[in-house]
Amino acid sequence: MKDHLERRMTTTDLNRMTARNVQVYYGQNHALKDVDVDILDKTVTAFIGPSGCGKSTFLRCLNRMNDTIQGARVEGQILLEGEDIYDRRVDPVQLRAKVGMVFQKPNPFPKSVYDNVAYGPRIHGLARSKAELDQIVESSLRRAALWNEVKDRLAAPGTGLSGGQQQRLCIARAVATNPEVLLMDEPCSALDPIATAQVEELIDELRANFSVVIVTHSMQQAARVSQKTAFFHLGHLVEYGDTTQIFTKPRDPRTEAYITGRIG
Amino acid sequence: MTAPTRSLLVADARTKARNRAEARFRAYGLAAILLSVTLLGILLASILSNGLSAFRQTEITIPVTLDAAAVDKGGKGDLSSLRATSATAYGKLIAKALKDELARQSIPTAGLSDKDIAALISEQAGADLRNRVLGDPRLVGQTVTVDALATGRIDGYFKGRVTLESAEKDSKIKPEQLHLADAMRDAGMMALRFNSGFLTNPDASEKRPEAAGLGVAIAGSLYMMIVVLGLSLPIGVAAAVYLEEFAPKNRFTDLIEVNIANLAAVPSIVFGILGLAAFINFAGLPRSAPLVGGLVLTLMTLPRIIIPARAALKAVPPSIRDAALGIGASKMQSVFHHVLPLAAPGILTGMIIGLAQALGETAPLLLIGMVAFVRDMPGLPPGGFLDPATALPVQVYNWTQRADPAFTERASGAIIVLLAFLLIMNAAAILLRRRFERRW
Repeated sequence: MKDHLERRMTTTDLNRMTARNVQVYYGQNHALKDVDVDILDKTVTAFIGPSGCGKSTFLRCLNRMNDTIQGARVEGQILLEGEDIYDRRVDPVQLRAKVGMVFQKPNPFPKSVYDNVAYGPRIHGLARSKAELDQIVESSLRRAALWNEVKDRLAAPGTGLSGGQQQRLCIARAVATNPEVLLMDEPCSALDPIATAQVEELIDELRANFSVVIVTHSMQQAARVSQKTAFFHLGHLVEYGDTTQIFTKPRDPRTEAYITGRIG
Repeated sequence: MTAPTRSLLVADARTKARNRAEARFRAYGLAAILLSVTLLGILLASILSNGLSAFRQTEITIPVTLDAAAVDKGGKGDLSSLRATSATAYGKLIAKALKDELARQSIPTAGLSDKDIAALISEQAGADLRNRVLGDPRLVGQTVTVDALATGRIDGYFKGRVTLESAEKDSKIKPEQLHLADAMRDAGMMALRFNSGFLTNPDASEKRPEAAGLGVAIAGSLYMMIVVLGLSLPIGVAAAVYLEEFAPKNRFTDLIEVNIANLAAVPSIVFGILGLAAFINFAGLPRSAPLVGGLVLTLMTLPRIIIPARAALKAVPPSIRDAALGIGASKMQSVFHHVLPLAAPGILTGMIIGLAQALGETAPLLLIGMVAFVRDMPGLPPGGFLDPATALPVQVYNWTQRADPAFTERASGAIIVLLAFLLIMNAAAILLRRRFERRW
């Protein structure tokens, strides 16, 4: 496992997103405390930790999906390319075009495969002509490694695909708006091992163009796909560092306990 | 020590009791369904047996010579002078033609005066012929074949409502007249035909049930449904979308929610009083107008549309909203592009049920004057929305109040038309539902 981890090197250290001193409250409940994380460019960052530790909450802070939850409140600073995404002048709609999201359960729209992918570019006005839109749809489906499977049935409903295909369709839909950061909330938890392997391979390829943040329950998955890992426990960011370091020489005893299976 | 094991092949007492309870429950359910199906069957059978005959009407076919001296009293041959001739004069012309025709076919009329013979023909026949001539003045001087309505009693005789025994005690008909009617039928002068007038004619007075039709009521109901659909669909759906998707969840919206549920339970006659006060007395809209009826029914229907529409919106999985928001759709785009289309089947079903209730509503319409006797068809939209009209259920109510048994048949016929409208609306709802559901 060690060799495998060491082969993966971070290609760049440019910061895409920076989170400093982030606090999240759900009503009176202080769900996330003092989180400092850097999301690097062209890097897969994994958030691991036991259920209820706040990793999904933090992920949803990064594209302000927490705004839709009643009573959720975020404090601290999260910067995207140096701009505070919680600034009053920021429209979350524009932010979400730059920070795409893939959810735990595949949730394609009950529309055709084509319309699923074309929806984002359409509402953001990214294509000026039908040909251009076709081009975006094709390239997005290719990036999501789905093109060869669906190119003959673009008009078929997206909900008719298999679970793994649906999730890759959701990834294609997310990359179609050409985001800078791609957030994935346990994207493989509803998939079988083969579909999981396909999606993991895809995540590795997506790293070439996007910075990817993935929340996962599976430490093996984090080790397989990520270069950076953040370990959350009970609302605290316990440890953040290179995946190799986290899995081989954890600094915090809680991290060690979790990755060796003693807590969690 | 272990308990003695029981064989699986023998059911124990608890299991038997449980199975008996289930069997009893199934029997209750089946009995309830059978009872309701039987009662529904009886209801439908009684309405159909009473009402289907309203769609057929006895007509007397005779040639009538439109003598210029008789029909053109002004003598100038133009429309204004033709108008001077009354329907009564045409009635006399038809009566004379009938007498001549009977003589020509040598049908015996013993024991009947000229007045008795003329009484076979409805008072409406003269008015119908006058309208025909006014519509085509070239008919003056020619001999035309007239299908004159027979009076209600003769019509009832052919439909089995009037018998020779009942005619003995009836001041309005003599058994001899019925014998004459039999002879005329045998001669091919009198027959039951399809009664298209039932669907197109306006209401008629107590004295001529044979001429009464549903035309004004159908037009009024149709106009009202257009108003109800046009107002309550957009307002109801918009209100449901706002309350469900956009409104903050606080005390105030809770209060609104409770009050919408309360409004759905308010007796419809209260909405009639509101409509009378607000639309007629305050806003000064005319009485008996389909627009006012439609507005009142809209008020009544709105809460009944909002509640199922909200339920349908609530049933759309939140993952769809997340998906839309996650790729940068605005709240409005996520609702109108994704949530609303998915909720459409449920919203439509609620809409149609609301409309069907509105179509069958009588009480509020009585208060705003749609119970009036209206002879003239309302005009074409948009002006027709302000013309006086009545409504199908009100017409049923009206006809059941009348003394002549011929109106009982017509009331049942009107119920059949009302039911047919409801069936068409429900079928439309099912079709639309299927169409939208395929998009899942």
